[in-house]
Amino acid sequence: MPELAESQLARGMRDVLPDEMARLRRIESTFGTTCAAWGYGEIRTPVIEPLHLFTAAGTLSPQTLDRVYSFLDWDGWSGERVVLRPDSTIAAARLYAERLADARVAKLFYCQPVLRFTDNGSSREDWQCGVELVGDTGRAGDIELVLLATDALARLGLQDVEVRLSHAGIVRAVLAAARLGPDEQSAAYDRLLDGDMSVVDDVESRLPQLDAPLRLLFEVEGSGSAYVANVRAALAAALPGLNPALDELAFVVEALEARGVAPRIAAVLARRFEYYSGIVMAFHHGGVRIGAGGRYDELIRLVGGRGVPASGFALFIGELAPFVLAPAAVTAVVSVGATDDTPQGIAAAHDAASALRAAGFTVDTLGDGAAVRVVCRNTAPKFTLEGDAAGSYERIEDVVAALERAR
Amino acid sequence: MTRIALPTGDLRGEVAALLESAGAGIPDYAAGSRALRFPLEDGGVARVFREKDIPVQVALGQYDLGICGSAWIEELTRRFPNHDVVRLRDLGFGAASLWLAAAGDTCDPSLRFVSEYPNVAEAVARRLRLARYRVFPVLGAADAYPPEDADVVLIAARDEADVASHGLRPLWRVLDSSAWLIANRRSLASKDLSGPLARLLSAGSSPHAPGALSVPASLGLRPLERAPRRTLRLALPDGHQQPDAVDVLQAAGIRVPGYDEGNVVRRPQIDIDGVEVKVIRPQNMAQQVALGQFDLAITGRDWLFDHLVQFPSSPVEMVVDLGRCRYGLAAIVKDVQADTVAGAVREWRAGADVPIRIASEYANIADHFGRERHLGRYSVIPIAGASEGFVPDDAEILIEGIDTGSSVRANKLTVLERFYESTNCLIANKRRPDGALRDVFDRIIERFRAGALQPAGVPGS
Repeated sequence: MPELAESQLARGMRDVLPDEMARLRRIESTFGTTCAAWGYGEIRTPVIEPLHLFTAAGTLSPQTLDRVYSFLDWDGWSGERVVLRPDSTIAAARLYAERLADARVAKLFYCQPVLRFTDNGSSREDWQCGVELVGDTGRAGDIELVLLATDALARLGLQDVEVRLSHAGIVRAVLAAARLGPDEQSAAYDRLLDGDMSVVDDVESRLPQLDAPLRLLFEVEGSGSAYVANVRAALAAALPGLNPALDELAFVVEALEARGVAPRIAAVLARRFEYYSGIVMAFHHGGVRIGAGGRYDELIRLVGGRGVPASGFALFIGELAPFVLAPAAVTAVVSVGATDDTPQGIAAAHDAASALRAAGFTVDTLGDGAAVRVVCRNTAPKFTLEGDAAGSYERIEDVVAALERAR
Repeated sequence: MTRIALPTGDLRGEVAALLESAGAGIPDYAAGSRALRFPLEDGGVARVFREKDIPVQVALGQYDLGICGSAWIEELTRRFPNHDVVRLRDLGFGAASLWLAAAGDTCDPSLRFVSEYPNVAEAVARRLRLARYRVFPVLGAADAYPPEDADVVLIAARDEADVASHGLRPLWRVLDSSAWLIANRRSLASKDLSGPLARLLSAGSSPHAPGALSVPASLGLRPLERAPRRTLRLALPDGHQQPDAVDVLQAAGIRVPGYDEGNVVRRPQIDIDGVEVKVIRPQNMAQQVALGQFDLAITGRDWLFDHLVQFPSSPVEMVVDLGRCRYGLAAIVKDVQADTVAGAVREWRAGADVPIRIASEYANIADHFGRERHLGRYSVIPIAGASEGFVPDDAEILIEGIDTGSSVRANKLTVLERFYESTNCLIANKRRPDGALRDVFDRIIERFRAGALQPAGVPGS
C-alpha cells in the first residue's frame, strides 16, 4: 500500500477496522438485547440539533458549551446556529417532549455518537450506548438504571464493575447554605462541575457553623450505607438541607446492597453537565470510567416539554471496548472461484456461493486459491473441491454435504 | 528573513513611532504611503493589513510577527482556541474596550446581538446562559442596528462616553484591549527572530497580562414580542456603493436629504410617507432582509450572491436590477503561466498536494468557487480589505471585484477567470408585506424599476 505523506483524517477523529468493529458491534448488540429484555425501545436522534437546546442554564456547563461544534446551517440566515449533537440526553429529552409526551413512562435506549471539541489530542467523536427513563418512576427508576447498567456490563463479561453514586442535591444544599445568590450558586456549581475544587474553600469560609471540614465531603469517598450515615452525622446538623439528598441516596444504596451491589459514594460525580438534579451514577472498571448518568428532573421542561422527571445513563463505548472480548471470529471461509473467466463461469460461481451461504458457510468469491472450483464450459456446472473435502461433484448439494463433513 | 504584519488604520501612527524608537523605522509606512509592502533590513518584509486580518495571518504562519489590538486576538481565540498565535507583549497604546450596549430596555425573546466581533459575542451569549440568541456578524456600522434591528451591540469604544456618543446605553465592559506584539508559534520555535524581537520587546511599555472576558450575570433587558411594523423599512448602502445608490434614488425621483449629498447619516428622512430608511453596510443587507427587519434594500448582486451561496434557502430575492455600480468578480493570480484555474492548480501542485489558499472579502463566494472548480484541498482566508498584494505570497488566488482591470494590470496581476457580473440591485423578502404596507412596497418597486431603466442621473418619473 502506498504511504501517504500525512494522514488525511480530521483531527480528533478515528477509523475503526474490522477487528475492533466486531467488538463495538458486540457491545451495541449486547446492550440492545439487555435493554430490550428490560422493556426499553431503541431511538436515534439527529446528528444536527439547534444550539439553543444546549445553551440554556441547567443543561451543559460553560466549559462544555465552549467545546460544541456549532455553525450556521445552510438555512441559518436567521442567525440561529445548530450543533453537532454534543450530548444525547438533551437530544432525547427534546425527542420525548415533542414525540412521546403522552406516554406515562417512556423507556428509551440509543447507540450513537456525541461530538465535542478537545484540544489534547483525544477523541472528538465518542460513541455511547445510553438509556433514558422518562416518567415519574422516582427512586425505583434510579435503582433500575443502576441494575440495568450492571446487567449489560455483566453480559459483556465485566463482573467486577465499581458503581459510584452521588446526589446533585448535596452540592446544591451546600451552596444554598452558604447563602450564595442564585447566580453565584450557578457559577460555583459550574466551577465544581468543571473540576475547580478551590470553590470548596470559598464556600467553607461562608459556613462558620460547620462541625467538620467541608473538604471531608468533597475529598473523602466512602462505601455504601455506612458512609452515607457518617456524612449525615458529620455535616447534617450544620447543613440540614443535606438531609433530603442523603435520605434518597441512603434508600437507593440500601436497595442496591440488597441486590449485591456495593456502591461507592462521592459528593461530586457529574462533570460538565448541569442538568442532573438527583441521584448521579458512574461506572468504573479497571480504573477507567466506562459510564455515567443520573436524574434530570428539570431537563424536559427546559427543552420545552411539561415538567416530567427523568433519569438515564450512558456507557462509553470507546472506554469499554478494551475490556470486551471480540465475538468468535469466523473460523472457516470457503473460497469459491470459476475455472474459466467468462460471464457464465462467474455467474455459476455465484450460484454455488449462494447455495453455500444458505447452508451457513461464509463464502469469499474473490479470494486466491479457491477451495471450490466451479467448472462451467458450456455445460452444467461441475465442482472440484480441494483440501480436506477434496473431490469432484456434480451437484452443489453434494458439495455442501462434503464441506459439512469436513467442518 | 522576518515577515511582520503591521496595521493600517487607527494604530498606524503609534506603531510607526514604536518601530522608529526600536531602531526599525519604516519611513514610508510612517508617512502613510498607500504601498502595502515594505522591505526590511534583514531581507524580510513588512506587510500592511487591516487590523482584523493580522491575527489570522500570523496564526496561519504567513507572518512571523504582527501588531494588532488584543480584541482581535480574542476574536480569533474564541473560535479557534488551538491557534498558533503567541502573545508577546502589551505595547501600551491603542487602549479601547469591547462594550455591550443597547438602545432600549427590551429585547427580542431570541436576543439579537450585532457585532464586528461575532465570536466574542457568541462567547458572551453562552456565558450569559441565554436560552435563545442570534449573533449578526457585520463588517461595520454595528452601532446603527439597535434598537430596531438588534437588541445588543458589542462594539469597541474608548469609554462609556464614547459608547453614548453612538446613541447607545453602555451595559457592560466585556474586554479591555490594547495593541500587542504577537508571533507565530512555529516561527518562534524554529526561526531566528532574535533581532527584531529584541528591538520590539525593548521598545514596548511594561508588560500586562491579557485582559480577561468579563460577562454580567444578566443584561437587564426585558424580553418583549415586537409589535407588527406600521412603516415600510428601506436599507440604503454606505461606503463605495453610496454614490450609485444616490444616482438610483434620483432616477427614481426619490429624495433622501442628507444621504443624497453623500454624507453618512444612519437614519435619514425620505420623501415618501410610511417609509423609514436606515443606512448600513451593503454586505449585511441580505441577512437583514431575510430576517424581515427590512422590506427592501439596495445592495450589490455580489453580496446577495455571497449570502445565497451560504444560505441557499434564504427568502431573499432581487426584485430590480438597478444596473449601476457595475463590476465583475474575478479569480486573480500572479506569476502563473497557466491561463485557466485548472492549469494554475496543476502548476501549484507540481511538487506536492498543497492546499490552495483563496483570499477574499467574499468568504462564502470564495468557498463556493473552491467547491465548484474542484480545487480539492483548499482553504479560504477571509480578509477585511487591503487585498492588493495578497497574491502570490499570502494566497494563490484572490477573489476580488474588478472594473476595467486597470489596477490588476498595474499590479502585474492576472485575471484567470471573471466569473460573476455584479450591479447594484433592489432586494426584498419573498414574503411580501401585508395590507397598506404592500401598496407602498409595490409603488416603491415601480419607481425603482422606472429609475433603473433611465440613464444614471435622470429622474424616472
